[in-house]
Amino acid sequence: MSESRLFSTGTKTLTKREILRFLRRPWNTFLPPFITNVLYFSVFGVILGSRIQEIRGVPYIQFILPGLVVLGAIGNAFENASFSIFHGRWNEYIHEPLTSPLSYRSMVFSYVASSALRGIIIGVLIAVIGAVFTPVHSLANPAYAVVFLLVIATLFAGLGVIGGLVADDFDHLTVLNQFILRPLVFFGGVFYSLDALSGAALTASYLNPMVYMVNGVRYGVLGVSDIPVNEALGVLVALTVVVLAVDVALFKRGYGLTD
Amino acid sequence: MPRVPPVLIRPVASIRTRMPPAIRVEGLEKDYGDVQALDGLDLTVPEGSFFGLLGPNGAGKTTFINVLVGLVRKTGGRAEVFGNDVEEDYQGARDAIGLAPQEFNVDRFFPIEEVLHHKAGYHGIPEAEAEERAAEALKRVGIYDKRDVRFDWLSGGMKRRFMLARALVTDPDLLILDEPTAGVDVELRHDLWEVITDLNDEGTTILLTTHYIEEAERLCDEVAIIDSGRKVTVATPDELTEKGSDTLTVYCESAIGDAPALDDERIERVAVEGDAIRVRATSASEVVPSVLRQLEAAGHTPLDIDIERTSLEEVFVDLTRREAGADADAESHEAASDSAETGDGDDGEGAGDRVTAEASR
Repeated sequence: MSESRLFSTGTKTLTKREILRFLRRPWNTFLPPFITNVLYFSVFGVILGSRIQEIRGVPYIQFILPGLVVLGAIGNAFENASFSIFHGRWNEYIHEPLTSPLSYRSMVFSYVASSALRGIIIGVLIAVIGAVFTPVHSLANPAYAVVFLLVIATLFAGLGVIGGLVADDFDHLTVLNQFILRPLVFFGGVFYSLDALSGAALTASYLNPMVYMVNGVRYGVLGVSDIPVNEALGVLVALTVVVLAVDVALFKRGYGLTD
Repeated sequence: MPRVPPVLIRPVASIRTRMPPAIRVEGLEKDYGDVQALDGLDLTVPEGSFFGLLGPNGAGKTTFINVLVGLVRKTGGRAEVFGNDVEEDYQGARDAIGLAPQEFNVDRFFPIEEVLHHKAGYHGIPEAEAEERAAEALKRVGIYDKRDVRFDWLSGGMKRRFMLARALVTDPDLLILDEPTAGVDVELRHDLWEVITDLNDEGTTILLTTHYIEEAERLCDEVAIIDSGRKVTVATPDELTEKGSDTLTVYCESAIGDAPALDDERIERVAVEGDAIRVRATSASEVVPSVLRQLEAAGHTPLDIDIERTSLEEVFVDLTRREAGADADAESHEAASDSAETGDGDDGEGAGDRVTAEASR
């Protein structure tokens, strides 16, 4: 029963399997971001935030909320895709979908969609935690908030697929997540405005893609941004398309999957 | 009654003859750097057959199977499953195959019944039907009561049974079993034999690799022996055993001294042990009259005879050893040729280095 349609029974099954994998382990999926973000909001938002003046007319605790949503969403999207693929390679059970008549596009779709969904769920969870600490009565530009969150979760799920395919050891996954992803996010304007920077630091920040993601979501939630959001959205969408094309090409080539 | 177009009432046999073979590979090659795992393998597995693949460790059996299912990318040649090219029509090829590999590559996150639901789903089988098939497959291999357990919690024998269930859940036209009975007890081995024999009777083509020669002899219609990534021979188990030498033992009235010279070109070797003469010949039963006549002429009195047919195992060992010998001969010949060409015949080591360097380039 070979099916070449993207949304075939096979695609739905693999997507469902991937979603169930993280939903059935709530202590692993939801508890760590819950605790981490309660700590972020308590320490940076409440304790330190009360001593920091407003940024762009927004209280500090509200200013950091969109950045923490982005941090959680992209971290989880990336980690879910990279771990799922690498663990499947490590234990060879990725052979189950690989030896099935699923198309390469379908496999990539399943891993990316399920991982992006995890990122979005965690992003929403963090937003809810933030709303407990600081009331955000309404979203300034809800469509931007939704679209930016969707695009960046998809982009990092796609990057996670690449990470899962190129990693040769669990150590490599840690390097990708902790030593590349996390510094980029922390220097991406989660905790400060670009107004606080000047010279080389400001120029370097404009080269950091995280700046555009954090500011895009911040514009959606609070209506303030350091960068022009429409151009940022265009660049991120284009980047996402390129990353997904690379994912499909790697699957087709069997990179990290076949001998 | 509606008229049936003539094309629909063709005899079934004529339709069958048009079916492509279950597996057809031509000049199949796979190299891992300097290691040639498959070296121009040609093989055809007819649809509906029970086909055995024998070969020593490292012969290329698992590489060959992995090329068919897409886990290994060939470096040359052509491979088809029911007429579907394994790369160009990979979805058609993979859909036809149910694979039970040697290694336990099972999803450990889910109970085994769910693992089967997923595997069936990947093959496009709707959820309700996938559930029915999973239950049926688990019952067939006798581990239905363990359906809610994760793979790691199964015993070794149950794990082997599960590997077969996972291969069966998609109702494949071609079932590939890579050493399915390795390390299992006799009872389980017989259970597995029964299941796969029934499947073959129902029309499923079976490709079986095994180290148990008895298994191949007992189950397979045809056997291919491969070695060093090449086909050595393909034949039925009976044809293969006929290729080997039988042993004729003649028991005489009294002890025999030296081995008598027996004049018959079909005789390969003669040995004496006390009052028994052991004669190796291609077909022992055909040389019995000649041997008895010559022994009597030499003054011995034969009392009894015994013929021991060659086993498939002996033939297998003989054929693969011969192949290894041929390879060694070819290599030494090649090295000698290279030495001659470079004019360094006396300097064997230096010539060898150059040959290796050439091959590396």
